[in-house]
Amino acid sequence: MESVEGAPGDFTVTLVNYPRFIDPDVCTGCGQCAQACPITGVNEYDCGLGKRAAISIRYAQAIPLAYNIDRDICIGCGLCEKVCLAEAVRYDDRPRKTELRVGALVLTPGSKVFDPKDLDTLCCRESPNVVTSMEFERILSASGPYLGHLMRPYDREEPAKIAWLQCVGSRDIHRCDHGYCSSVCCMYAIKEAVIAKEHARGDLDCAIFFMDMRTYGKDFERYYEDARNKHKIRFIRSRVHTVDEIRDTGDLLIQYATEDGRLKAETFDMVVLSVGFETPRELIDLSRTLQLQLTEGNFCQTSSFAPVSTSREGIFVGGAFQNPKDIPQSVIDASAAACAVGEILSPSRHTLTKAKEKIPELPVVGERPRIGVFVCKCGINIAGVVDVDAVREYAAGLPYVVYAADNLYTCSQDTQDAISRVIKENHLNRVVVAACTPKTHEPLFQETLAAAGLNKYLFEMTNIRNQDSWVHRDSPELATEKAKDLVRMAVAKVALMEPLQESTLSIDQNVLVVGGGVAGLMCARTLSRQGYEVFLIERSNVLGGQALDLYQTWKGEDIQDQVCKLIDDVERDVRIHVYLSTELTSVEGFVGNFKTQVKTGDGRTSQIEHGVAILATGAQEYRPEEYLYGRDPRVMTHLELDRRFMAGDPALKEIQSAVFIQCVGSREPERPYCSRVCCTHSMESALHLKELNPDMEVVILYRDIRTYGEREYLYRAAREAGVRFFRFSLDRKPRVRAGEDRLEIEVMDTILGRPIVMKADLLTLAAAIVPYRDQKLAQFFKVPMNEDGFFVEAHAKLGPSEFATDGVFLCGMAHYPKSIDESAAQALAASSRAVTLLARKEFQVSGTVAEVNPLYCSGCGVCVEICPYSAPSFVSEGRFAGKAQINPVLCKGCGLCVASCRSGALNLKGFGEDQIIAMINEM
Amino acid sequence: MSEWEAKITTFLCNWCSYGAADLAGVSRFQYPPNFRIIRVPCSARVSPKFILAAFRHGADGVWVSG
Amino acid sequence: MVKYTEKIQEIAKRLLQEEKVDVFIGYRKGTMPMMNQPVLITAPEEAARLYWDNFCGLNLCNYLTKRTDRIGVIANGCNSRNMVTHIIENQIQREQLYIVGIPCEGMIDHRAVMRAVHYKEILDIEQNGKTFVVKGADFEETFEKEKFLQSNCAVCTHRNPVIYDELVGELVEEQTDVSAYEDVEKVEAMDPEKKQGFFTRLIGRCIRCYACRNACPLCYCPTCFVDESKPQWVGKSIDPTDTLTFHFLRAYHCAGRCTDCGACERVCPMGIPMRQFTKKLNKDCLELFSWEAGLTLDQRPPLDVYRPDDYNDFIK
Repeated sequence: MESVEGAPGDFTVTLVNYPRFIDPDVCTGCGQCAQACPITGVNEYDCGLGKRAAISIRYAQAIPLAYNIDRDICIGCGLCEKVCLAEAVRYDDRPRKTELRVGALVLTPGSKVFDPKDLDTLCCRESPNVVTSMEFERILSASGPYLGHLMRPYDREEPAKIAWLQCVGSRDIHRCDHGYCSSVCCMYAIKEAVIAKEHARGDLDCAIFFMDMRTYGKDFERYYEDARNKHKIRFIRSRVHTVDEIRDTGDLLIQYATEDGRLKAETFDMVVLSVGFETPRELIDLSRTLQLQLTEGNFCQTSSFAPVSTSREGIFVGGAFQNPKDIPQSVIDASAAACAVGEILSPSRHTLTKAKEKIPELPVVGERPRIGVFVCKCGINIAGVVDVDAVREYAAGLPYVVYAADNLYTCSQDTQDAISRVIKENHLNRVVVAACTPKTHEPLFQETLAAAGLNKYLFEMTNIRNQDSWVHRDSPELATEKAKDLVRMAVAKVALMEPLQESTLSIDQNVLVVGGGVAGLMCARTLSRQGYEVFLIERSNVLGGQALDLYQTWKGEDIQDQVCKLIDDVERDVRIHVYLSTELTSVEGFVGNFKTQVKTGDGRTSQIEHGVAILATGAQEYRPEEYLYGRDPRVMTHLELDRRFMAGDPALKEIQSAVFIQCVGSREPERPYCSRVCCTHSMESALHLKELNPDMEVVILYRDIRTYGEREYLYRAAREAGVRFFRFSLDRKPRVRAGEDRLEIEVMDTILGRPIVMKADLLTLAAAIVPYRDQKLAQFFKVPMNEDGFFVEAHAKLGPSEFATDGVFLCGMAHYPKSIDESAAQALAASSRAVTLLARKEFQVSGTVAEVNPLYCSGCGVCVEICPYSAPSFVSEGRFAGKAQINPVLCKGCGLCVASCRSGALNLKGFGEDQIIAMINEM
Repeated sequence: MSEWEAKITTFLCNWCSYGAADLAGVSRFQYPPNFRIIRVPCSARVSPKFILAAFRHGADGVWVSG
Repeated sequence: MVKYTEKIQEIAKRLLQEEKVDVFIGYRKGTMPMMNQPVLITAPEEAARLYWDNFCGLNLCNYLTKRTDRIGVIANGCNSRNMVTHIIENQIQREQLYIVGIPCEGMIDHRAVMRAVHYKEILDIEQNGKTFVVKGADFEETFEKEKFLQSNCAVCTHRNPVIYDELVGELVEEQTDVSAYEDVEKVEAMDPEKKQGFFTRLIGRCIRCYACRNACPLCYCPTCFVDESKPQWVGKSIDPTDTLTFHFLRAYHCAGRCTDCGACERVCPMGIPMRQFTKKLNKDCLELFSWEAGLTLDQRPPLDVYRPDDYNDFIK
């Protein structure tokens, strides 16, 4: 991106397209060129651990699967051009400039990983056995340089002992000027250790050297506990200063100091450096060009209540450029940024959409199958191994096959035209293509069928390239036999195929938002701004939720100001209908058409019709039973202290000594999760106390300090301000006594190895965040809840703001404890996910869904119970009352119910019992 | 017995293992041609009846992956 | 046992008289010794036909499926567990049932008795507490009950009913020191070839009469997979592969639901111990899911449940 001109709603962006010397629209990704290329270069994707040709794809899953010539090492021999039957090579490709006119920009440039080469004491220049975590990821990968076999680079031997060193390039202002925490390294180090143990043939010893274990994400603390107790990974609390290579063996000597101050040395076969994030130089320059403000750590500056808006209007940001973060957080950002764009561009939604011409379908039901088989040569990719002529001849003789042909490239446009013509001329009513993979090409051929007036489901594709010719290069005869078998199976299956209908469902344009905290309010405001009517349900008699008791965000913004503004926006909005002191009493329907009954505080009930629902029911602060809470007025929780800050309580200034205890009710056996926000909250409060009275003695008793990302600066500031920190462990928790005039708090000093007693006038407990466990709501919307009482999202990484149940979305602390900026981002994300449905106005349902034969159904209810998407239910009246029925709108076509049905009443259209059995029979 | 080759019926989930088998092709991993792959929308689609049917039809092994 | 019989008759009579139930399901004395039969009575005066002794091996749950009336039914441990499964699987409503619980001491294996008297014709059996007397035309022998229990009863750990509305007698002490799966473990330890031989021999005599299926309360599908034709899962002949397929799939359908009531083996005319199949799955359910069928109304069997957060190691 070279420049951005203009204003929100009308930007002109100038892009430079670097030449790839291959036309990606023509390249079939077959890879003949790379096999012919005589040049060997370093494979950057494998972090230099593997090799590649001068013409290559970055990685096997790349989209588009098109090659690229590295002209820095290409010698211009012309071999690739010669072998490319698709004629995709363009040696004269030049950089091109493109101008785009857009209404808004979303920046998701990511980050780079820190290069540790200059950290000379870690031996990473000298020893090949010191690798970065990125290199280790490639070593573990099945498609990596060692095919997933655990080996160390020095001698390709399997290591018996591996050490991970945390915070390399993070939380380090001396050697790399990165004061922030990279947020993800603790978790990935544990993951790498667990997977390394799985991959190891021998008994692998894994040790992770760390300062604070920051497993603050959803279910991360459990993973950490399992790693420690089940996988026996060693966690050593120490920052390692020196790694030395042992000359003859390539092993590595690690010297470190233990927590009680003893010096130790241990030898490992391999060392993994857990490197963090770093904003690359070019990105800093680009930010300057775009006039974006950056933070101290060179991340893109945003505010808590507009977490994806940059300092320049109309430009949005997401992912690791915004702050160091993991996949779910990045996915949330991405959806949130799309939502923020929707707010300013919703008037132009669908203005560029073109409608597709619909061709009437030929009737085929009841007709004898007339099957056409098209066998692809894929240049020489298939034909070079498989005898395509023999396969075509063989196909021609199969039952119901009336036409068989081969093509050089079945996917080319002229072949599509030819297939379309052949279908019409030969009155084909079923088509088989034997070529590459249906995963990429099935839709293309289905379009061709539709263009010829055939229902697109009267099609079967079989894979004789990726799963045959490419993998059986050395046994052409057997590969040909396999291709014949695969074609025979496909023919048997397609003969039983029936045309399938895709029903259409309209989507009610109203939204129900449950929960009137920050997350719910944000949802309501953005959805209204995008033109949707919102019904906002709040169980209490005020809007604002937990935020009403919070003083400042971690970025120092005043929360009350912002929340008042948000509430004001919502209350004044005519499209938002607020229901206070209201609860849900029943929910009927499904995606697109829900009917929800609500009961207000005065006992009145009303019905709300809505197309989608967002659950933002939040969580609350745990009421501690420990540490004299409730029995001594000097002991309070974070929220109670915040209330005093907001009230400007003059007594706070008089305090001589204040103590914080972390993890109160969190990371305990009965609540084995981290509440995520409390460490940062304690830093803020400690700093505020120090501000009120710099002479105040402030002490934080903690287990691990989890100030992730740029929150780490608060930790640094707290230390600089003289706040003192003592660590305790779960088995030696602090003890609190009410002394004669002051509280007495006893804690084990790990360095002295003996208990010390401190006196305090104020004890603040970092109490856990506990969810409401609203079982009724979970049942209403058929959404799952985990053991801790938080709702379970559709996918922990890729679907954090939606449920597996269609049309129901999730945000805020009902998902997991989170800070205001994170709640705001997830609120936008959930709204964005909702808009993807709402904006379509109607919904095309796949034809590949389950169906019930009620005559076979025993009504046992296995399908109703087992379906993760709530598609099956019981018929409530009529002849088949008590039998199962499938809602095709909710059905994802996985077939779980079909395989679970003992009575044989269920079937999956497109993957029918008879079809799969026909394939097995033809095998 | 040395000429005996196992015949393996394979059920692969469209979303993961089938894609992985495609990827093995893109990476040109070579393996014996004894498999016959049936693509299913999810490994949950594989009913025990299919497994027994495959054995009844002479499969020496059945592999379900998803 | 006679005491139970009188009590059952009394309760049935009362329930029918008070019109609390429309029908009462129990057993009557069989026309042949050791062969008690299920009976359905609808009038109080018929209550005298009801009978109970240690030869009530058929599972009464079979007669509950899809009924719409109010039913009084007697239930020992395993029968009551099948009732729980029936309720969970919507085959009957709990409110429809008045369950008369029978603390059970186990059923006597009629085949073992016949063997013990060398297959001489038995005319009568008299039960006296821990022993029973077998009488024929020219013989009379006394045996200890304990030694003649059906093999499932010998290792039963749920003799008392799980749900009931009324009991006919004091709850009996549950057996605790039984090793229920010794036989399965023996099979598990076999190498594949030996295992195959074992199962091939096991079903070698099977004539595919489906008596086991018909006696099983779990087999209530409108159309059994063996009778399906599109696709045809199992051939109709007694080809050993087809027979094995039938037994495997039947057992698989019972996984997590079988209460080891033993009805299948009891009714098999060929004396095939097909519980070897179901027991293996019961053992797996116990070990992998800590699950025994029919003990709770709150939870469906493990194979009916989809959980993305499965806590077991064998699923990743």
